[in-house]
Amino acid sequence: MNDRTIPGAALGVGDPPAERRQRLLAGRESRTAWLLMVPALLVMALVALYPLGQVMVLSFTDARFATQAVERSYVGLDNYRQLLSVTLRELPPVIDPETGRQELRNGVPRFESWVRILPREPLRYTEAYEFSLFGKRWVLGATSPAFVRAFVDTVVFTVWSVGLEAVLGMIIALVLSIEFVGRGLLRTLMLLPWAVVTVVAAKIWEWMLQPTRIGFFNTLLYDLGLADGNIAFFQTEALQLPTMIAMDVWKTTPFMALLFLAGLAMIPRELYEAAEIDGASSVRSFFSITLPLMAPTIAVALIFRTLDALRVFDVFQVVLGGQRYSLASYTQALLIDQRAVGLSSAASVLIFLLILVFALAYMRVLKVDTR
Amino acid sequence: MSPRQRVRLLRRGVFWLLVVLILVYLMLPFYWAVASALKTEAELIQTPASYWPQAPSLVNFQAVLSNLTFVRGIFNSSVVATAVTMMSLLAGAFAGYALGQLRFRGKTPSMYMILAMTMFPQVAVLAGLYAVIRLLGMPSLLSVTLSYLLFTLPFTVWVLQAFFRGLPQTLLQAAQVDGATMMQSFWKVLLPLTVPALVTTGLLAFVKAWNEYLFALTFTAIDREARTVPVAIALFTGQSAYQQPFGEIMAGAVIVTVPLVVLVFAFQRRIVAGLTAGAVKE
Repeated sequence: MNDRTIPGAALGVGDPPAERRQRLLAGRESRTAWLLMVPALLVMALVALYPLGQVMVLSFTDARFATQAVERSYVGLDNYRQLLSVTLRELPPVIDPETGRQELRNGVPRFESWVRILPREPLRYTEAYEFSLFGKRWVLGATSPAFVRAFVDTVVFTVWSVGLEAVLGMIIALVLSIEFVGRGLLRTLMLLPWAVVTVVAAKIWEWMLQPTRIGFFNTLLYDLGLADGNIAFFQTEALQLPTMIAMDVWKTTPFMALLFLAGLAMIPRELYEAAEIDGASSVRSFFSITLPLMAPTIAVALIFRTLDALRVFDVFQVVLGGQRYSLASYTQALLIDQRAVGLSSAASVLIFLLILVFALAYMRVLKVDTR
Repeated sequence: MSPRQRVRLLRRGVFWLLVVLILVYLMLPFYWAVASALKTEAELIQTPASYWPQAPSLVNFQAVLSNLTFVRGIFNSSVVATAVTMMSLLAGAFAGYALGQLRFRGKTPSMYMILAMTMFPQVAVLAGLYAVIRLLGMPSLLSVTLSYLLFTLPFTVWVLQAFFRGLPQTLLQAAQVDGATMMQSFWKVLLPLTVPALVTTGLLAFVKAWNEYLFALTFTAIDREARTVPVAIALFTGQSAYQQPFGEIMAGAVIVTVPLVVLVFAFQRRIVAGLTAGAVKE
């Protein structure tokens, strides 16, 4: 009966009743399982896979929203070229023809304007960044400087906010891992920043950070004698990103702290007791026990938050509007404000690829249990 | 006081200072929102700002509650968030049961796909979804609801399958011995046991749907009637076009936040369980 070459064996015809029953059941189980998966798979196909395919196709077209339909023709990699083309050029000094030395304007040495330096054909480059390095003046030109800046800003935002959240989250988690009166309440209150609507939080912060002493922070800093009460948090370029980071840190540090708290709860107490008996200081136990044992939790939390921060949209869109973009808010602006469907789709694909790298890392760390 | 005692006292002091700092840090924006909502227009534009309302009034709340866009936004958000929660729980429980308790070919790839989906960036499908919606001529509210399943459903499936996995296989077998079909054992035996997980994932789905902004803003761009609360608040304009009516916005912020505060206090444990699910390896 074990001879598998018997015709009909695959159908269970030649098997003993028990084995046949088993196989029949397995078949039914498999069928039921797939039937149960249908609604979820259907939804995912409709809202994720099909639109993603659409976006990929659109990214190779010059589609724009016309009055009714979407008109398009294929343009190959043009959209990607448009978004990603960058060039680094040196800006030569402006030489005064009379003295033969570099011209000064108000005591500042003058350099050529990027308009004369950056190429115009076949694609027109404009200035994304200008900076001095090795005693020379450089310009980074791009065909979509706003996209390049959005990319840089998003990366800077992500690194700072995730880093600060991890450090602050760890401090809060360590404080909350100690028993004290009111700990339960504080733990509950920690959920509020996470729960509050991001747009609402952004509006509250925008109101607190008003550029005059109408705002809370300008009033407070003035009263403490730390500032003149007229700090324009959102209008000053150098303060825009730090403000965005501060808002994000406030909203997501509690989440980080909760993850760490869950991780801390799983470290056996005996380890700390043993360390104490051996005379280790609490700082020493933190670095020798807590941190190594928390490494997996920290890794997961960092990747998870990085994934989140890279697609930041709400705060940038609400507070900075068209002044300054994150990758996501620039992509949305391309689609809705500029109606450039093709270009926006190419930006979407680029974000997708960026996130994919981190998502794969996350799945690596998490190791799925599929028994 | 011995030096040892002094050190201990100092440690306690630093500790409580930290606790107070954390509390202030977390709560300050909420305090400022409530305080500002209670201030009058005149007090709001006065410099320097007063740290607490001098003459508390409910004018801002009255104004925002008689603002049609805001009230409609609350209604829209409630409908959308409830529908999203129900749909993702239903589809999620089915798929979670299949992945967590049943054996079938193609399970491992399905698991990886679902996990990958939980990290799917919304912005990646923006233009595609927008095109689909315009093509089908779908009502905005329905399209917003369906689009939210993109981020609620994979997460729901993921948490629920982990929960179903934790239930003993013997339950299913016992039910089958008693002659129950697979669906009967699902509805009658397993689902009642998953109620805690359903509450957890339902809450998270609801909060996420209530908070969502990118899709809502994009898909209601041409349909003002369908705006949800976040969009209504972000685009809030008062009587004067020159200045943002922050008093009313703060009142709106308070109104929108109250239900969330209630949820948080009622379901603190369940929410924390959901947030940390999967992130901490057990």
